[in-house]
Amino acid sequence: MEGKIIVVTSGKGGVGKTTATSSIGAALALEGNRVAIVDMDIGLRNLDVVMGLENRIVFNIVDVVLGRCKIEQAAIRDRRIDNLFLIPASQSDNKDVLTTAGVERVAKELVKQFDYVIMDSPAGIERGFENSIVGASEALVVCTPDVSAVRDADRVIGILYSRSLTPKLVVNRIEPARVKRGEMLSHEDVMEVLSIELAGLVPMDDKVLISSNTGTPLVLQNDSKAGQAFKRIARRLNGEEDVPFEVPVDRSSMWSKISKTFGLTQ
Amino acid sequence: MINFETAAPVKLKGFGKGFWITLNPSHPEEVLISEIEKLFKKLKHLAVNADVVLDVGDAKGHEDLIQRIKLYLNNHFDLGVISTSPIKRSIPTERIRQRDLSKEWNQHRSDVLMLRGRVRSGQKINAKKHLVITGDVNPGAELIAGGDVIVLGKLSGKVHAGFPDKEDAIVFALGFNPSHVKIGSISASGSEDGVGSSPEFASVEKNKIIVRDYMKASPFRRMPWPEAI
Repeated sequence: MEGKIIVVTSGKGGVGKTTATSSIGAALALEGNRVAIVDMDIGLRNLDVVMGLENRIVFNIVDVVLGRCKIEQAAIRDRRIDNLFLIPASQSDNKDVLTTAGVERVAKELVKQFDYVIMDSPAGIERGFENSIVGASEALVVCTPDVSAVRDADRVIGILYSRSLTPKLVVNRIEPARVKRGEMLSHEDVMEVLSIELAGLVPMDDKVLISSNTGTPLVLQNDSKAGQAFKRIARRLNGEEDVPFEVPVDRSSMWSKISKTFGLTQ
Repeated sequence: MINFETAAPVKLKGFGKGFWITLNPSHPEEVLISEIEKLFKKLKHLAVNADVVLDVGDAKGHEDLIQRIKLYLNNHFDLGVISTSPIKRSIPTERIRQRDLSKEWNQHRSDVLMLRGRVRSGQKINAKKHLVITGDVNPGAELIAGGDVIVLGKLSGKVHAGFPDKEDAIVFALGFNPSHVKIGSISASGSEDGVGSSPEFASVEKNKIIVRDYMKASPFRRMPWPEAI
């Protein structure tokens, strides 16, 4: 059976595409799937750093598309998770070296070898974005609860629909305390504007930064709230039904509420 | 060269089972008769038993002229029934009103563009005349219409009604919160208050765009009967 290609995109940069890609990829691999993560951000490669694999790069996706090497040669096996592979981006080329036809050809090869291929799309809606969605069968749109991120995600959703892709939404970096104070949009606000199927809600988590900088998978940390949220998204993508959506809540106020109930504080 | 200024003395058109002859009574009777003779001689057997309607166009009177020509045709050609054009009667006002009330929209062919669904950021919709959207319009989307813009949902994008210079156009939305409104050549930026609690509409008053509560100040409430637009 052929695998699925899932493109992770957002329009705006810095909303957590790369973190989402690596975490969802790792989580899908932990579920027993053979997973390839492809960094499509040619010229600004960083998925390898986030996954802690930067020292092992020999070939990259540009080499694969241009026929300089085979997919097996470019795919780097993860250090911790056996059936997780990374095909890194090229750091020296720019996005114009790839053609959509070339990427499509490689995409058809990839689905034969892997159960899931997760494409990390670059920010923007130009050539690099077009290249990363060309072979995709599913799309995830990552959006933070910011007005600008929502605007860009909306544009990207429009483009994805025009390419017959029905995207699902990941609302990332939800800060319940700030939502409560009215400083940030709530995930309901985001969903109201974007009105697409929800893939998952991911809370703001300091562990993401640590995990990215040390190259350790977020989903292997059981105390990471974001990591657990990405695991649930992966389970949903893997066809598991009835995975509950956990709405991030403000723990501090929750604790104070409980305390009040028990008469511990006034 | 064809002269369009003075109408030809006699014009002949095919009509049902016969011919419709339009005479220009400003020409002398002899000219008219000789012209008719020329035409009918050319028609030869086609004129046999053909019905003929005689008409003097927009000119009034000339009944005696028509009678004489009728007589001439009867005497010289083997035609069918020769009649005069039916009199156009003006419809009384009362009947026009009744027709307006009951049937006007039955014949109405509309240029209204009606869309269903969400208009997303970066999408631009151009409508020749009125634009109706049943769905929300997201921030960053753009609507341009030659007439009114009606949004049955939340309007958050940029909107231009009455493009390019029709200032009697309106913009209506159930949730009115556009980033920029333009009606005809007059524009205004959106307010920062967010969506009001009731449907609102924008229209031009004294060269300014005014937004009002639709339920309290509907511009159409005073129209006695519906009219097709």
